[in-house]
Amino acid sequence: MSATQAPSTAIAKVIVPFTHAVRQVFFKMAKVQTTVGTPHLKNQTASTYSICGIIGFSGNVTGSVVLSFSEEAGDNLVEAFAGERHERSSADFADAIGELANMVAGCAKQQMGAGTNISLPSVVIGEKYTVAAQSMPCVVIPVTSPMGSFSVEVSIKETPAQA
Amino acid sequence: MSEDEIRQLAQTVWETTLGIPLTPQDTPSFASGTRMVVACVQITGAWGGAVFLHVPEPAARAAAAGMFQCEQRSVRVQDMQEAVAELGNMVAGNIKALLPEPSCLSLPTVVEGGDFSSRIPGSRLVHRVVLSADGQDIAVTVVESVRHSGAASNSGVKAA
Repeated sequence: MSATQAPSTAIAKVIVPFTHAVRQVFFKMAKVQTTVGTPHLKNQTASTYSICGIIGFSGNVTGSVVLSFSEEAGDNLVEAFAGERHERSSADFADAIGELANMVAGCAKQQMGAGTNISLPSVVIGEKYTVAAQSMPCVVIPVTSPMGSFSVEVSIKETPAQA
Repeated sequence: MSEDEIRQLAQTVWETTLGIPLTPQDTPSFASGTRMVVACVQITGAWGGAVFLHVPEPAARAAAAGMFQCEQRSVRVQDMQEAVAELGNMVAGNIKALLPEPSCLSLPTVVEGGDFSSRIPGSRLVHRVVLSADGQDIAVTVVESVRHSGAASNSGVKAA
């Protein structure tokens, strides 16, 4: 296994809910077919793209998930989702990115069983910034679509049971 | 939860963890283009919202040097992120103690850069407290979830 290839079993358990969620949410909400690429471990600190929706997980699993959109994908997917084009600097644009992140996380959460909580989404838009992984491996799921590329960066682990 | 309480909590965290006193300020004076390290800790449960800690890079560097007992020039970006995450976690943990129970803290999310803005859709600003650490302003922002009202607040993080 190469250094950047995701280990199969343990990480697959947390990856699968997100690949299903991405396909489902973007097809239902933006009428777009997505193609999920091969997941790999993130080995750089910079965010993959410039528009990020971040959701925290707590309860059964701990960590965060970042939906990172290229500008092209962000613009087009927000338009397809919201029904109109929004400026990237507008609150409506951030709301839409946050809502898409929330839906993907919520859909994945359903497959993780009861006892998993998700936070409000936070939305970061800019250039040359990093979103820190939280002392745990970050698996990047690359996604392509006719509306542009984006990725889902998953840094979560199962919470150890308390005695 | 009042602004005074948040101010005192932040002062206590900085003083006890880093030995650096914080002095209250009225408004933040983040220079345009300043690189910022921003920690966001979400609170879920009986109360929903988030705590942002905005720290300019020089103050983050000083915090990391103090926390990890090293020279400022040897501090890496990851060290600053870890230090600000830990400080954010401590401040949020203390703020959580002032909120209705049961509530849980998320792990901190840390964003570092010089040209980004951050917001939590579906939230409103509750408090924003500005303090100065050795001449560098830091800010603690508390936002509360208002999922059903549709209001949203910018965390105030506009790093450029």
